[in-house]
Amino acid sequence: MTDIDEALLIALVDGELDEVTRRRVERAVADDPALAERVEMHRRLRERLSDHYAPIEMEPVPAGMRALLNESGKIVPLARPAASRWRSWSMGGAIAASLVFGLVSGLGIGHLSNRPDGPVAIENGAMMAQGALASALDTQLASAQADAPIRIGLSFRRKGGGWCRSFQGQAVSGVACREGEGWQVQQLVPGAGQGTAYRQASSGDAQVMATIDALIMGDPADAAQESAAKSGGWR
Amino acid sequence: MSFESDLLAILPRLRRFAASLSRDRADGDDLCQAALEKALRARDQWQPGTRLDSWMYRIMRNLWIDEGRSRQRAARTFAPEEAGEHVGHAGDRDMEAHVMLSDVDRAMHALPDEQREAIALVLVEGLSYKEAAEVLGVPMGTLTSRLVRGRGALIELLGEAA
Repeated sequence: MTDIDEALLIALVDGELDEVTRRRVERAVADDPALAERVEMHRRLRERLSDHYAPIEMEPVPAGMRALLNESGKIVPLARPAASRWRSWSMGGAIAASLVFGLVSGLGIGHLSNRPDGPVAIENGAMMAQGALASALDTQLASAQADAPIRIGLSFRRKGGGWCRSFQGQAVSGVACREGEGWQVQQLVPGAGQGTAYRQASSGDAQVMATIDALIMGDPADAAQESAAKSGGWR
Repeated sequence: MSFESDLLAILPRLRRFAASLSRDRADGDDLCQAALEKALRARDQWQPGTRLDSWMYRIMRNLWIDEGRSRQRAARTFAPEEAGEHVGHAGDRDMEAHVMLSDVDRAMHALPDEQREAIALVLVEGLSYKEAAEVLGVPMGTLTSRLVRGRGALIELLGEAA
């Protein structure tokens, strides 16, 4: 019994022993209740851990992650996290969005909008997409945008009518909705290229998802609906 | 199958791994999201024919280690960790996650990083010792001794109920 150490017992539970060693350890365990108890303890621990984390694998993955992987041709419907989590997300996002809006309108947008190549212009008191952002919103399909500098996430109809699209770029990400012949920016958050800490990048995504959730009516467009909407001039 | 759809297929497992490394679910999803972004940027480094899940586990684990270092720096700079629990919350999302923290979450979080990642890969993700050692870049002997110590600690932390 003395040559059976903890590592061997654990390897038995983990199914890592070769046939000969396994038989030897199993025999020793069968002859020694103290060893058997330790094996049982390790089995229970393994089971408890794997049971504890197993439900995560069954959950629908968050929409932000899906949107990230959505360049493969089809647009997967928003998978919603558990309701309570989603609600608290939306609230946090709304607060954060207003903060971000205050910040950009106070500091950033003035500069951005004074430059004709910036993504946003102020027209009649509203933030309107211009330049590369406007043309991405006009023409780019989420299903075909291999290396575009601005990526379209989801296209969807908003409550009350009209198309909206989420976008993600190096400098800014956000959501814009069709207004007349242009795109009114509903939300602007720092883009994927800002900051190296992953927390910052992904909290922007959560905010964008919260905005989408507040605006969206029904499901996001699939590739065919998106293409049809583009052909129809997003009306 | 495209790179993206392959990632989508293993995403549920990646989220699970992220959750087992992180202190709570919200942190886990942040980590998972960051790992996806990194993988998309570094897709040229992925060698078709090798295992995408192992590659992703490695990316995620490295991000998590880096984040842990910067969090430790921040904790030393600003406040003890306990104080940090009560200040600077990112809103109700965090608090909800804290309330839901279970015994297993707490016990896992109490482990040293090197033991937690070994436990997560083998006991939660079900990798073989060889696969886990490759993901972590350590010899098999190192992996097994971390598993032995980590399990001992978990059994102690979780008490008789383990």
